[in-house]
Amino acid sequence: MMNYSIMLSAINYSSMIAFLLDGTVKAVELFFLTIVLSLPLGLLVARLRMVKFKVILLPVKFYLLIMRGTPLILQLMFFMYFPPLVFGIGVDRFMVAVFSFTINYAAYFAEIFRGGIESIPVGQQEAAYVLGLSPFQTFTRITVPQVVKRIIPTIAGESMTLVKDTALASVIGVTELFRNAGSLKATYSSVIPFAVAALFYLVMNSVVSAFFSQIEKKLNYYKG
Amino acid sequence: MKISRGMALILATVMTGSLLITGCSATTKTTSAATTAAVVTTADTTAAGVESTAAESTAAVATDDSLTKVKAAGTLILGLDSAFPPMGFINDKNEIVGFDIDLAREVTSRMGVELKLQPIDWSSNILELNSGNIDCIWNGFSISEERKAEVNFTDAYMQNRQVVIVRGDSGINTLADMAGKTLCLQAGSSASDALASNADFKASLKEVVELSDNVTAFMELEGKTSDAILMDEIVAAYYITQNAKDYKILDESLADEQYGVGFRLADQSLRDEVNNQLKAMAADGTLAEISNTWFGKDVTVIK
Repeated sequence: MMNYSIMLSAINYSSMIAFLLDGTVKAVELFFLTIVLSLPLGLLVARLRMVKFKVILLPVKFYLLIMRGTPLILQLMFFMYFPPLVFGIGVDRFMVAVFSFTINYAAYFAEIFRGGIESIPVGQQEAAYVLGLSPFQTFTRITVPQVVKRIIPTIAGESMTLVKDTALASVIGVTELFRNAGSLKATYSSVIPFAVAALFYLVMNSVVSAFFSQIEKKLNYYKG
Repeated sequence: MKISRGMALILATVMTGSLLITGCSATTKTTSAATTAAVVTTADTTAAGVESTAAESTAAVATDDSLTKVKAAGTLILGLDSAFPPMGFINDKNEIVGFDIDLAREVTSRMGVELKLQPIDWSSNILELNSGNIDCIWNGFSISEERKAEVNFTDAYMQNRQVVIVRGDSGINTLADMAGKTLCLQAGSSASDALASNADFKASLKEVVELSDNVTAFMELEGKTSDAILMDEIVAAYYITQNAKDYKILDESLADEQYGVGFRLADQSLRDEVNNQLKAMAADGTLAEISNTWFGKDVTVIK
């Protein structure tokens, strides 16, 4: 029988937590970069989605269909392995993950924004025009504040989904929380790392949830 | 981005054109792999390096610049699934360690380059290799005919068997005893290939359960939802020792296989260098020493 003198038999909890925290930091970085980049991009796409010109409208609709219609996990693998094989360019794993998450979530945010914007009564735009406000002023001063208030619950939900979706980056080798938990499972022959990882995701999402609750409270200075 | 998209496309056309004109005598598979690899390696060179890579694709023999590139970069990137003890895994200090890692450290220090460990998703291992994200796959990588078509292997450095593990009290002692029992294994592993090539044995089983990994397989065995596991003997012995369970490995094995280090098909000079280093380590006893540290005996087969 082989002698595995280097092998360990019990879980070293402090190491495990440290390793899972490293993964959590990666997940949090991925989350923030994605949110910061995809919200403005989503707003832009929403605006483009509402134009009449087919030249802009059709590509936008195609983009929305592809991004929302194919699995994010496949999109990640596509952006990771396609460029090097076809164009011979080097890609950084983490940047690929940020890019892929951003354009995917921007598509969802775009439709959420569009839904919010289109739910504002057109009468308001007419009233603003009569009062002498420019379209830009109408949009930023009148429409957007109302839209934000309406879509906060949905955005909160999407953000919480994003926190959990960071686990998908493991398929392209990003050493985030889920992958690290998987490595530890092999090290200790135990699923306890996964239980701890689930706890970490829960804590992250509790923070996100509390954050959005606060925003909702702040915006509640009027009903509707 | 290391090179613009347009430039890479032009170079790819030049590469393919030169191949057609000179009428390379290499097989189609090697040629197309060389072209693909040439496009990838081109990405890292300046325009001046076009001639040498063009020569590489027309020659398709060991005059490629893979070794010089690694030495120039000063790093060899090793791709592994860091959840595969004892070949490559995370220890309790959160470092990546393993038998293959120790071998690689020794080889790269002799080559005079740094070793960079890159965790990858195992199911995309060859994809990662061909895309240039890693330089080699070194993680209990079994040599097989299908893989040889896509990967340039070193000589086999370790022997491995696909074995059946059962509970100590199960009363199963031979493969024949497995008739009417449930067997589980890791999906997509060389264990499932081994089972496929032992049709009679497979047919005698009641059920075959495919799982995502070996730890889950051990949970099935423990929980008695499966009667046996089919997996690498090396990894099995590790888990059994680590968990101090009363499990038994049957003497009859299903397949013998060997581990090798995998390189891109076109990276002949790099592969030869690592191969020579492994041979040197076998000759001076370092290989046996590392093997003893991990396994208590010399399991290496390189001469």
